[in-house]
Amino acid sequence: MMGNGKNELMGPLVTGYKSYILIGVLLLVSLPLILAYSTLIITSFANTIVSNPWVKFNFTFDNWIAFFRGELSTTHARIYTTGEILRMIGNTVIVAAGVTAVVLGGSATSAYAYSRMKYRWRKGSLKLLLLLHAFPGVALIVGVYTIYYYTLVKYIPPQSRTLYSFFFVILARASLEIPMSIWILKGFFDRVPWELEWSVLIDGGSRWTAFRHAVLPLVKPGIAAVAIFAFLAGWEDLIYVMIFLPPNQKTLATFIEGQLASGSLETSYLPIMAAAGTLYLLPTILFFIFTQRLLLETMSGGLKG
Amino acid sequence: MVSVQLVKVTKRFGSVVAVNNVDLEIPDGRFTALLGPSGSGKTTLLYLIAGIYRPTRGKILFDGKDVTNLKPNERNIGLVFQNYALYPHMKVYDNISFPLRLAKKPKSFIDKKVREIAAMLQIDHLLDRYPAQLSGGQQQRVALARALVKEPSVLLLDEPLSNLDAMLRLKIRSELKRLQKDLGITAIYVTHDQSEALAMADKVVVINNGVIQQEGDPHEVYRNPRNVFVASFIGSPPANIFPVKVDLVEEPCVILPGGKYCPKGILAERLKNLGKETVLFGFRPEDATLHEVPRHDGIIMEGEVYTIEPLGREVIVTLKVDGNLVKVIAPPTTTGRISQRVYINVPRDKAMLFDPDTEKNLRLIG
Ligand SMILES: Nc1ncnc2c1ncn2[C@@H]1O[C@H](COP(=O)(O)OP(=O)(O)OP(=O)(O)O)[C@@H](O)[C@H]1O
Ligand SMILES: [Mg+2]
Repeated sequence: MMGNGKNELMGPLVTGYKSYILIGVLLLVSLPLILAYSTLIITSFANTIVSNPWVKFNFTFDNWIAFFRGELSTTHARIYTTGEILRMIGNTVIVAAGVTAVVLGGSATSAYAYSRMKYRWRKGSLKLLLLLHAFPGVALIVGVYTIYYYTLVKYIPPQSRTLYSFFFVILARASLEIPMSIWILKGFFDRVPWELEWSVLIDGGSRWTAFRHAVLPLVKPGIAAVAIFAFLAGWEDLIYVMIFLPPNQKTLATFIEGQLASGSLETSYLPIMAAAGTLYLLPTILFFIFTQRLLLETMSGGLKG
Repeated sequence: MVSVQLVKVTKRFGSVVAVNNVDLEIPDGRFTALLGPSGSGKTTLLYLIAGIYRPTRGKILFDGKDVTNLKPNERNIGLVFQNYALYPHMKVYDNISFPLRLAKKPKSFIDKKVREIAAMLQIDHLLDRYPAQLSGGQQQRVALARALVKEPSVLLLDEPLSNLDAMLRLKIRSELKRLQKDLGITAIYVTHDQSEALAMADKVVVINNGVIQQEGDPHEVYRNPRNVFVASFIGSPPANIFPVKVDLVEEPCVILPGGKYCPKGILAERLKNLGKETVLFGFRPEDATLHEVPRHDGIIMEGEVYTIEPLGREVIVTLKVDGNLVKVIAPPTTTGRISQRVYINVPRDKAMLFDPDTEKNLRLIG
């Protein structure tokens, strides 16, 4: 019988005093990260920069309000309009959602084919996918940029270029995620026995009904995990967005980077930037809080060749 | 209900010929068992009938109508898979109702049907459970209910009892047989267990290496095995078969350790015409009797006791006959010592002779 995906995460492997040592070591190792993140998040709700535990501060939403009003400096001069800020957040959502959709569509169909069909180069191309995943996105950027530049100049009328650049950045960023997503999903598809699909055919359904009613429900955790990874990749991406989106189209990542890099560090009020940074981190934090179990399952169960 | 006919059906997987040029007639409304060892092509044959596999060559007919190119969902069949293939994310109720929901039947009809079939199979108290919460026997019933709920014209079962323990297997075996008779449905039952096939089926089809070895009613297949494979696959323990020398000098005879068997009539003629130096001699364990002094009717052989296994109702005595191990079923009161010398007596009409090369039963040739 198939497991129904509720495979129990086992009890603690290490118990007693050893577990305290282990937790202690893990805490110590992750201390720099924890410090950096808590500094960021606390500062976004404080009236001053909280750089160490002894700083006295008052809790306030002022930084968040200022951020949404586009007031980024201590002088509360309006550098951006609220519309521009919302637009920038909107862009981030568009890129993240677009990447998610393309990754899901591309990897679910190919993973299903890899799991269910036999064809030439199947094994070879699977290995190639793994290799592709190992390539850093930055290494590809010159090639990708060449395609972008060539197609943009040659085929895209000026009034559509912004649209095209969104389209392009989503596609390019998604294709970096697809190889690994195929591997993850293939592992899930492999665990669905053929008989389940055949059973639907016998029961009077079509191939598509079989996919929808017998396969999809069983690979849901895999789909969810891939969707989350893709969304975060799109949300967090800096380099691709910076290179392919026109300068007037920012996402949270390029916005923050722009503020810090343009030498406006002196004029930017850091607690307000901390609010922007926290907003940038928000999906990651939320996903990891709500889907820890799922991610563990994916890592332990999905990645079988 | 329909009859199923296979005409020269072959199925290859790459270089493997899983089903080889099979001609087969499955009678309407009867219980047919496909019997064969692991890897013999039983499941493949079943899937061909179901439409899950397309034959490489040949035709499949339902009631004379060609269904070779019809998809499984166009054939109105029910299939119980070897691993049951219940939908793990659906409750028992939804598993059973699934075929009816796909057929877009009205809700009230579905509900009535599901409860009816669940009551018949005594799983009505399990409708709210998930498959993972059921025992093997319960899962098997749910799979059967799902296959039956849409009233298929053919019911296909792929070793449905093989995952159950021995006691449950015996119980469900008789239930299934009764159910098939009550419904009058055409049933094809795949099994590697010869006792299951003999016990349940109206017709037994023995298959090996993708080739049909013999078909017939259980008695026929048991009493008159067409070849060595059938004789040594059916029966528990199966028939004893070993090579013996042929002596054609006076009349056609075979030389047995401590005896001689000279068949009469057509069998003698065939043995003579065969003209070979050795043939295979065989008999069923329950047809032989053991004696301390040789008797003068029937065929006599000398043997030496190898082991004695008392089984309560009977005793299985294994003997060494000229280097071959031979099993005889003896009455429960039988006693003996290891290495004791005994005489085996086989009635003349129960002896079988096989061509050593084609392995065919000489009685049945022609
Ligand atoms: N999908 C397939 N691809 C390749 N070879 C296959 C496939 N299905 C079956 N075979 C081969 O065909 C032959 C018959 O297999 P089949 O499953 O029909 O045997 P079976 O009689 O059902 O055996 P078992 O009792 O073990 O279930 C075997 O040699 C098997 O390896
Ligand atoms: Mg099988």
